[in-house]
Amino acid sequence: MNIILIIFQLAIVAIGPIYMIGLINRVKSLWAGRRGPRLNQSWFDLLRLLQKTPVYSQVTSWVFPIAPIVILATTVTASMFVPLVPGFAPYSFSGDFVAFLYLLGLGKVFLMLGALDTGSAFEGMGASREATYAALAEPVIMLTLGTLILASGQMTFSELVIPQTDTITSISIRIALAAVMFIVLLIETSRVPADDPTTHLELTMVHEVMILDHSGPELAIVQYAAGIKMVLLAGVISALLNPFSFDHLPLLAMVVSVTLIAFVAILVGLTESLTARLRFRAIPLFTFAAFLISLICLVIVHSSQGSIQ
Amino acid sequence: MRWCRQSPRVIAPFEIECLDHFTRDLIKTCSDEKGDFVGFLYAGSVALVLGAILSIVLPNNKLRIGVNLIAQLLSCLLVLRVTIPVLFGADAVIGYLPWSFPVEQIDFEINAIGAFFLTFSLPMTFLGSIYAVGYLGHSIEGKRHVGVHFALLTMVQFSYLIIYTVQNAFAFLVGWEIAALSAWLLVIWEHRNQKIRFAGFNYLISTHLSLLFLVAAFTVVHGVTNSFQFANFVPFFQAPSMQRSIAFVLLLTSFGLKSAFFPFHTWLPRAHSAAPAHVSALMSGVIHKAGLFGMLKMIFMMGEPELWMGWVLIAASAMSAFMGILYTLVQRDIKRLLGYSSTENVGIVGMGFGVGCLGLSLHNPTMAALGFGGGLLHILNHALFKCLLFYGAGSVYRFTHTIDLEKMGGLLKVMRWTGPLFLLGSLASAALPPFNAFVSEFLIYAGLFQSTPGLMLGQMALPLFAALLAFVGGLSAMSITRAFGLMFLGVPRDPEHAGRNSHENVWMIVPMVLHLVGILAVGLAPVWALRLVQHPTGMLLGDKNITSEKWFGLLPTSLLQSVTTVTIVFVSVFAVLLIARFLILPKSNRRHVTWGCGYTLPNSRMQYSGSSFSFPMVAVFRDILTFWTKEDLPVGVFPKDGSYSTNCIDSVEHSTFDFLKRGEGLIKLGLARIPESMGFSFSIGFVGLIILVTLVLFK
Repeated sequence: MNIILIIFQLAIVAIGPIYMIGLINRVKSLWAGRRGPRLNQSWFDLLRLLQKTPVYSQVTSWVFPIAPIVILATTVTASMFVPLVPGFAPYSFSGDFVAFLYLLGLGKVFLMLGALDTGSAFEGMGASREATYAALAEPVIMLTLGTLILASGQMTFSELVIPQTDTITSISIRIALAAVMFIVLLIETSRVPADDPTTHLELTMVHEVMILDHSGPELAIVQYAAGIKMVLLAGVISALLNPFSFDHLPLLAMVVSVTLIAFVAILVGLTESLTARLRFRAIPLFTFAAFLISLICLVIVHSSQGSIQ
Repeated sequence: MRWCRQSPRVIAPFEIECLDHFTRDLIKTCSDEKGDFVGFLYAGSVALVLGAILSIVLPNNKLRIGVNLIAQLLSCLLVLRVTIPVLFGADAVIGYLPWSFPVEQIDFEINAIGAFFLTFSLPMTFLGSIYAVGYLGHSIEGKRHVGVHFALLTMVQFSYLIIYTVQNAFAFLVGWEIAALSAWLLVIWEHRNQKIRFAGFNYLISTHLSLLFLVAAFTVVHGVTNSFQFANFVPFFQAPSMQRSIAFVLLLTSFGLKSAFFPFHTWLPRAHSAAPAHVSALMSGVIHKAGLFGMLKMIFMMGEPELWMGWVLIAASAMSAFMGILYTLVQRDIKRLLGYSSTENVGIVGMGFGVGCLGLSLHNPTMAALGFGGGLLHILNHALFKCLLFYGAGSVYRFTHTIDLEKMGGLLKVMRWTGPLFLLGSLASAALPPFNAFVSEFLIYAGLFQSTPGLMLGQMALPLFAALLAFVGGLSAMSITRAFGLMFLGVPRDPEHAGRNSHENVWMIVPMVLHLVGILAVGLAPVWALRLVQHPTGMLLGDKNITSEKWFGLLPTSLLQSVTTVTIVFVSVFAVLLIARFLILPKSNRRHVTWGCGYTLPNSRMQYSGSSFSFPMVAVFRDILTFWTKEDLPVGVFPKDGSYSTNCIDSVEHSTFDFLKRGEGLIKLGLARIPESMGFSFSIGFVGLIILVTLVLFK
């Protein structure tokens, strides 16, 4: 069974990004009254980019071609710890979520270094914003995980998402924390309202402006890694909401997980269609709102545990 | 002078299956009666003092430095021969030295904690001296007496031997003072510059304030125990009392000043930016670890601290970590930036110690082991990467003749060694895997997520501290990206400082490479690194001869084995992708200008600047930081040139000076009210005398 689950996880991590992006774009198109591109359009985009000969900026050093590879390697390694199905991750140990966060952090640092390597003011601006919002999102994730650890008493990423009790409090806390992770997903993967991936003005971008000078395979690798990161965060949300765990009904849990990830993609598409991008000044507040939700959950978990004891 | 051993050297049971043969042989040879440990220590100290004297009296600079380095290496080897077995579980080395009144006898003891500090301090200072040969290269060729500088470095080494071993408060203070004065004289090496003299003076005052608190604490303890021997302090520290709480706060303040905890850090960025690079490196990475050593010693004597002490330590340290890293974001001067980063890192270490104290008070050995183990390992890690970064900054300074980040750029292409070394060092400093600081922060996180009955509301506070630590991690990633990006990436911002005719110095590169080896060793073999802190942590847990089974049983199951696995997986994935990228996918050397969004005449000054990079984050914390803005904006229809500059100043320093200035005014105002008549002064003096006499007579 473990082998099947590992293959399942690998498959989701490998093809998830393509269909997630496809789904988001499809939802946005339908909402705008268009038919939209095929669901697997980004597969063709990636293939096309991979075959192209890259052009580098005259300014760049060896950091620039290395950076995308570091980003992809960190994301792939980090995917080992993520429980797409509650109760199972290909590799898990006590405190693996710290490794998950810091590996993604390493990837972000290299994304920013690649941007700064071109010496462009626009890309520096993107790097600065990415650094700020990533740093602000970091404590939110850690507090959310801390709350889950307190609730479940488990220290591994795959086990702390398993629902322990079926009380109303427990369920509502999980939903609230899933909402927190959804906000984190929007910020970390540069979606509206934190950032607009389809904007045409460099001054208003975050993620896209950092990769202005990436071309060909480099661009493909960075985009693919960003997609994997989105799948991983969506996977965490799906694991939080999934009522079935790997120990009891593995197949059902897998199906529900995939459905929930698709549901997250649709939700991202709806959010993008319905809201406008926030002003940059408002993003720290947006993050802080997520932080507050986590904090309230922490207080509730702590007080409910106190009453049990 | 008579030296003697008091305890038989019996090796603790040490059945670790995977212990390296080298270590085993080492301990075995050292357990033979041939090697006299105390003699080694004595010889090491004499070598240091002789080296210091010779490097002053010998006729020319090269000879002075040569002799000095040999003396340092010799003493290093001699002392390491004693400390390494102790660090790996041999019995503590105990001796005493008869002395005249008022000390009478100086006891000394190299126990596991002292051995841990000595084992990294001495070789690192030696490496710093090697670096100094390159850094002071032009002075060595010139007429200046460089021997003095090296003699002072030797005295710093000598002060470690005192601080980390003596068991007597007087001798401890003497060692503390030797370290402080030598460090001060090292800071003002370029004393012709008024700014550097001021920074040195600032440091001198701060370090003596620290001494003042230390003396006050010792006085309080002496008042109760009537002794200056640490051995007699132990019963006092073990029983909770009012005096113990006072002593705790005084000692914490003193050690906080020494190790530059926020808000006692103001001397540090000034001193670090003024001192030669290797002196900054040693002060930040090695010398000021004495404060943390003091904290550990205090906790060790207490055995079981009260609960509030742990919380005070965690809260103070968390604030230190946060404020330190926040200030790194706004620095233009690379050495100031690294100085503030030290405040951050001692904060992280302190958080570890705080968690350890909580574990001790709540009788949760796992929590204590994670906290102290993580904190101790972070001390070593910080020393490794901070020295590397300061050496890198010094190398850049010698190359470009500036330490202003906003004038650098594009150095990665010309500095073939310093660039990659600095990159890896800064990744380590942001605690990113697979480098060393990740291991220690991982342990501290694990400690913060422990749940223990008895924590009550604290159970809720610990995840919040973990969130803060995560935020510090994010900020530090931002900070190192900014620093490395400004220095090494892009194109030179100021052609005067592009370093066209400079080259890197091999004396400066070698110590950096060695530090990188240390960083990678701890990062890639964390299980081995944990062995280094096994016995010091065991001592703090009250189990001096902690066995490896117990030690690895205390830490969550095979915790760091897993970290190693992660590292291996990451490195192999990276290697596979790298090979795939450059073998399969198309590659080219096609170059074009950077996309300027349609603008066709870009120049190097249009790159993003450091202050703009940190602006979005600074805007969030604008109320905490203090900015000085100088603006001369263009006005009118045909404006002349305008200028605008902002400078983030240290708000603690600013408000301290402000307070002192206003305080002076207040005192003046108060003094003006006192009548200046002869009769008034006379009567006040007389009344005072009567009160004094009464107090003395009727006590």
